[in-house]
Amino acid sequence: MNVRHFAAAALVAALAVAAIGASGASGGSTANTLTVWLQVDAQSGWPEVVAAASAQFKSQNPGWDVDVQYQTWGTHLGKFDATLAGGNAPDVIEMGNTEMTKYMAAGAFQDLSGLSFPNQSTWLAGLAASGRYGGKLYGVPYYAGSRVVTYRTDLYRSAGVKIPTSLAEFTAAAKKLGARNTSKAFSPVYVAGTDWYIAMSFVYDYGGKIASTRKGKWVGQLDKPAALAGLAAYKRFFDAASRASKTTDEARPQPYDVYAQGNAASIVGPGWFSCCVGNYKAQTAQFVMPSRTKGQPLPGFLGGSDLAVPIGADRAAAAAWIGAFTDNASMTVLRAKGNIPNTTSLLGNSVNERAARRSWFVPTAKNWVNVENGNILRTMLSRILTNKMSIKDAAEVASDNIAFTLNQ
Amino acid sequence: MTVAAESSTIRSRRRPRTVRRALRGSVPYLLILPVIVVITAILGYPLYKLVTLSFQQYGLPELILRQGVWIGFDNYSSVLQDEVFWRTLLRTMIFTVANVGLTIVLGTSIAFLLVRVSTWVRVLLTAGLVLVWSMPAVVAVQVWYWMTNFQNGILNHVLTELGVGDYTQHDWYASTFSKLAMVTLLIVWGAIPFVTITVYAGLAQVPRELVQAAEIDGAGPLRVFRDVTFPILKPIFLILTSLSIIWDFGVFTQPYLLIGASHVDTTNYLMGVYVFIEGYAHSDFGRGAAISLLMLLMVAAMSVVYVRRMVKMGETR
Amino acid sequence: MSTASESAPRPPAPAPVARRAALVRRERRRRARRLAWNVVGLVVFATLVFPVFWMISTALKPDTEINSLAPTWLSTDTTFQHFRDAIARPYFWDTVKNSLIVVGAVVALSMVVAFLAAVALAKYRFTGNKLFVVLVIGILMLPQAGLVIPLYVVLARYGLTNELMGLVLTHMVILLPFAVWTLRGFILGIPRELEEAAMVDGSSRLGAFVRILLPLVAPGLVATSVFVFITSWNEYIFANVILTDQSNHTLTVWLSYFYGTSRNVDWGGLMAASTLTAIPVVIFFLLVQRKIAFGLTAGAVKA
Repeated sequence: MNVRHFAAAALVAALAVAAIGASGASGGSTANTLTVWLQVDAQSGWPEVVAAASAQFKSQNPGWDVDVQYQTWGTHLGKFDATLAGGNAPDVIEMGNTEMTKYMAAGAFQDLSGLSFPNQSTWLAGLAASGRYGGKLYGVPYYAGSRVVTYRTDLYRSAGVKIPTSLAEFTAAAKKLGARNTSKAFSPVYVAGTDWYIAMSFVYDYGGKIASTRKGKWVGQLDKPAALAGLAAYKRFFDAASRASKTTDEARPQPYDVYAQGNAASIVGPGWFSCCVGNYKAQTAQFVMPSRTKGQPLPGFLGGSDLAVPIGADRAAAAAWIGAFTDNASMTVLRAKGNIPNTTSLLGNSVNERAARRSWFVPTAKNWVNVENGNILRTMLSRILTNKMSIKDAAEVASDNIAFTLNQ
Repeated sequence: MTVAAESSTIRSRRRPRTVRRALRGSVPYLLILPVIVVITAILGYPLYKLVTLSFQQYGLPELILRQGVWIGFDNYSSVLQDEVFWRTLLRTMIFTVANVGLTIVLGTSIAFLLVRVSTWVRVLLTAGLVLVWSMPAVVAVQVWYWMTNFQNGILNHVLTELGVGDYTQHDWYASTFSKLAMVTLLIVWGAIPFVTITVYAGLAQVPRELVQAAEIDGAGPLRVFRDVTFPILKPIFLILTSLSIIWDFGVFTQPYLLIGASHVDTTNYLMGVYVFIEGYAHSDFGRGAAISLLMLLMVAAMSVVYVRRMVKMGETR
Repeated sequence: MSTASESAPRPPAPAPVARRAALVRRERRRRARRLAWNVVGLVVFATLVFPVFWMISTALKPDTEINSLAPTWLSTDTTFQHFRDAIARPYFWDTVKNSLIVVGAVVALSMVVAFLAAVALAKYRFTGNKLFVVLVIGILMLPQAGLVIPLYVVLARYGLTNELMGLVLTHMVILLPFAVWTLRGFILGIPRELEEAAMVDGSSRLGAFVRILLPLVAPGLVATSVFVFITSWNEYIFANVILTDQSNHTLTVWLSYFYGTSRNVDWGGLMAASTLTAIPVVIFFLLVQRKIAFGLTAGAVKA
């Protein structure tokens, strides 16, 4: 065969392969497939709830199939952006409650205002707020988690410490625990220096806040006296109770790892921390982190997820699936797995749920995610705890940065 | 057969000479056609989009509406007036020089080492290099962080045991320099195998007689390298240096994952991370496109010397 | 004559002995030097490979040891549970299959296409030659982050999102510039004489190239294919965005699920899974490694 023919043949072959691949593509959804994006927590935590919801949806809507695609927290927004650009966004998507506002403001979701969902009238207020924008409903609350104190009952008992009912008592307890174990690595209450979820809880406990709107523009509030008092209280508590690194975050290392290594008498974090306490399972229990006011819980950050319907989806079908997934049966199972259900009607008396009675939430600004990505609060806390800047100065810088970012 | 008759027979059997010459002249174009087709089909639109987006206000709302707002050079001027951009650029350039330098020097040294050791050590070392090379970046980051974490990282343990100092609970991610040093170590470690194996193969091509002649003349190992080995290996070093500059300038995965998403900020941005956060994490795609094109210009400027030499090498043929 | 040599004076006799002694000393020095280099080589080996060793040793440790404050070098309580857990994770075998398909297609298609283009660039003088070379290196310089979304849009238009073919084409596009750039360098280095010798018999230029060049540049082809293999195997950013169904994922995306949850990370499982991911690469390299030593840059050197 003439070599020129060979070159041409190779070229044709290569194009043919590409063409076959392209034309044979049938992996896209058919008209009657509902694509659902849930986070991988559902796959490992409560897959039976997902399966039940899909089965119920399919039986009520014959001719429909459900394709649940599990995503990871780090990358799902980037992928979502790509699908929005490409025109093949999922029909239902789970969003973190702090991620909602940006996408609601950009018009990424369909208006669900006219539809009805299970337990809509008793939705958890803190969670439901994250799904509303401009008076319309865009996100259905899915589940939430608050922060509790996981502690070593044996260490508390041997130090003669009772479960504290106020911050002052907690600080005193920490001092007693610290006296019994003076090693450099041991923390009576392990709190990572830049854990802004806990630091801001102190701010809100003292009546401060992160930011608020005035005449349509965001103004930072961290440099106001109430917030400054809260930050000072946080610094006092940290210095007394935690030997964690002042610059590291609450995932490096994981508090439960510190606890499992025997280097913490108590840790503050989500309720599921009790899963991974190593050899101390028998001596582990939880209590609600107290506020400065005796008998009250410290306002906790209500982390959670909402379910939204991106534009381009079949609204009725998507809403039907969401309804099946958030009904009483599903919520009961979720609650049993240690989550806070989306409705107060099912709220029980577990430590997790009691801690959720007082909660705070981040400013509902479309650019809030940029504040988190820019680590403005973490930088501020790092500076305060390492004494690189005074509390007032660090708070002023952070406040200005936050206002600037939110107003962009 | 007369020439006339012959040529007429030939003419009747084959195509006319002009057409044949045209066909032969078309061969190179046919050969590069598949590459052009694939790249144009897949990258053509993204490249076009990248350029046009850089002149538009294109955030999340615009993405959803599929319609951007034309703002001319505003993205560029906003980026070029941003102090963070210039500081990041400077930091990245220093970072690139350090990484490329270390990679080439260490990689070459290990290649020389490979020549001097016994066969079994060579096999072991080569196998080790392949194992290192085969680790995906995302995995290497996890392992690296695991080894250097201040809680129970093996690095602290080893340093303390060896008596280098008391490194218990030492936080290697406390200062910006320390963070970037860790990232550098990780990247250099991952880049060494490619450099070493390439240089080693090249070394095998250096004629022994030349080396021995130089040694007999009394040249030390460094002079042998400079006068005999390096000139022969020059093309390899050109390729390796230009590729390393390009890769290390725009590196993203290692710094972003190792420093941690919650710790990257304006004090430790590298260009790869900067463009990701300012452009894509903020969903400001117009700005991201502008920064990407500026990065292209920067890296082209940094590597132009090496690239030009490689391009020229083909012209002498 | 023997009698003449026997009756020769004694003094010259020590010279051979002295020479042999000198030889022995030199040999001993050489062996000592070699030993020293071997020691250095082993130290370098240990330092380089340590993270890999740490990954494997962590994969074999029980959970309590992984999290303990005092790290143990090698567990006395070796367990294969993490490997079992990793394999039992959803879609493990599907993912292995997907990775192999993608990488196989990418390597095969890229090498053919890149080789043809490299031949053209290195061996033919034609208008646009230099421009094409510059374009190729220009694409290498593009930051990938900027291309992700527009590329996804293009693939969506062709219906190739969530398809392995879409990822294959994407990887080809990323790797072709590197392959063309490198193969061009190799081909440029092949001596003219060999090429000229083939032209004597009057065959067409391209025929000569393919018949003569191919065996000469085969080591370079193999070496480039190893790089393409490893890069495609380990690629994460595009694989993650393009493939949404877990059954279509490649191994690197599958791995990200170990640390992508909001709950605790299964370190032992992650390390075991990572070890498994490295195995096919090592196998591939072992299969082709002999060719590499002979000429990763055989051609380029001579240029």
